[in-house]
Amino acid sequence: MTRTIMTVDDSPSMRALLQHALAGEGYRVASAEDGVDALERIDAASPDLVITDINMPRMDGFELIEAVRGHSRWNNVPILVLSTEFSDDKKQRARRAGATGWIVKPFDPVKLSAAIRRVLV
Amino acid sequence: MRVAITQVDGVPRRGNRRADGLRHIGVIQGERGVSGEDDVMFTTILGSCVAACLFDPDAQVGGINHFLLAEPQPGQRVDTATAHRYGVHAMELLINDMLRLGARRDRLRAHLYGGANILAGMRSIGSDNGAFATRFLAQEHIPLILSDLGGRSARRVDFRPALGRSRARLVVDAVVAASPSPRPATPAVVSGELDLF
Repeated sequence: MTRTIMTVDDSPSMRALLQHALAGEGYRVASAEDGVDALERIDAASPDLVITDINMPRMDGFELIEAVRGHSRWNNVPILVLSTEFSDDKKQRARRAGATGWIVKPFDPVKLSAAIRRVLV
Repeated sequence: MRVAITQVDGVPRRGNRRADGLRHIGVIQGERGVSGEDDVMFTTILGSCVAACLFDPDAQVGGINHFLLAEPQPGQRVDTATAHRYGVHAMELLINDMLRLGARRDRLRAHLYGGANILAGMRSIGSDNGAFATRFLAQEHIPLILSDLGGRSARRVDFRPALGRSRARLVVDAVVAASPSPRPATPAVVSGELDLF
């Protein structure tokens, strides 16, 4: 069964990079450009995993994680943060919001793939 | 709203006020500077490296980076202490810093400088860097207003971030480091590893 990963990033370059890396691993990819866009698309995308950036316009990654965790259908979906940020404060904030894990950019496609396999249930 | 802050790699920086009344702040390889202050001028010297000067004319916020290579080679280990050398990461860091100062991604404009192929016989690192930066801006829908890339000479670039004004001069005798310049120590967080909560 093909698993679906929703990627959320305001950078078209990063979305394209993730699309290429994840599609190459056999995943179906649904892309969103920020938290608002992700929440609008999440029901249609029906993701098995969400990978989100933190710094985005309209709704950032922290707010998105909280919103997804408050959603009755998606409150158990794994959420990985993929961000240039690496401070403990921000990681702890994401953990409290309900994130599953954190990966610091830039990402290595092989390591990203391994991380996805660890969190996909 | 513009924020009257000047930072280099996220750290406040005053710079040295010169006779022209401007505070001059040098940006070396791997660094990025952002500012919303009228009297700030960032300066950098480029060989094969590329500097992207981005600015938001409405917010009057701008920033410059100085990256060494376009992208990491496949399988190459990269951490947060070395990732700034690569364009793909340097561009994202620069844009994120500018957004924090009030810029908006959809209003950004760009000038590009550098990407010279100075050393004969070496692979065209300069051309690769210039091509990467041009491609990145196109993908991000950031208009490229001014492009001064390529050639065989080093450039000195001055950029006034709040005004979005830049200029470059060819520098014949500049010593352009072939390896990364000394840089203040930053915590080396290995990128790409999963930190599971």
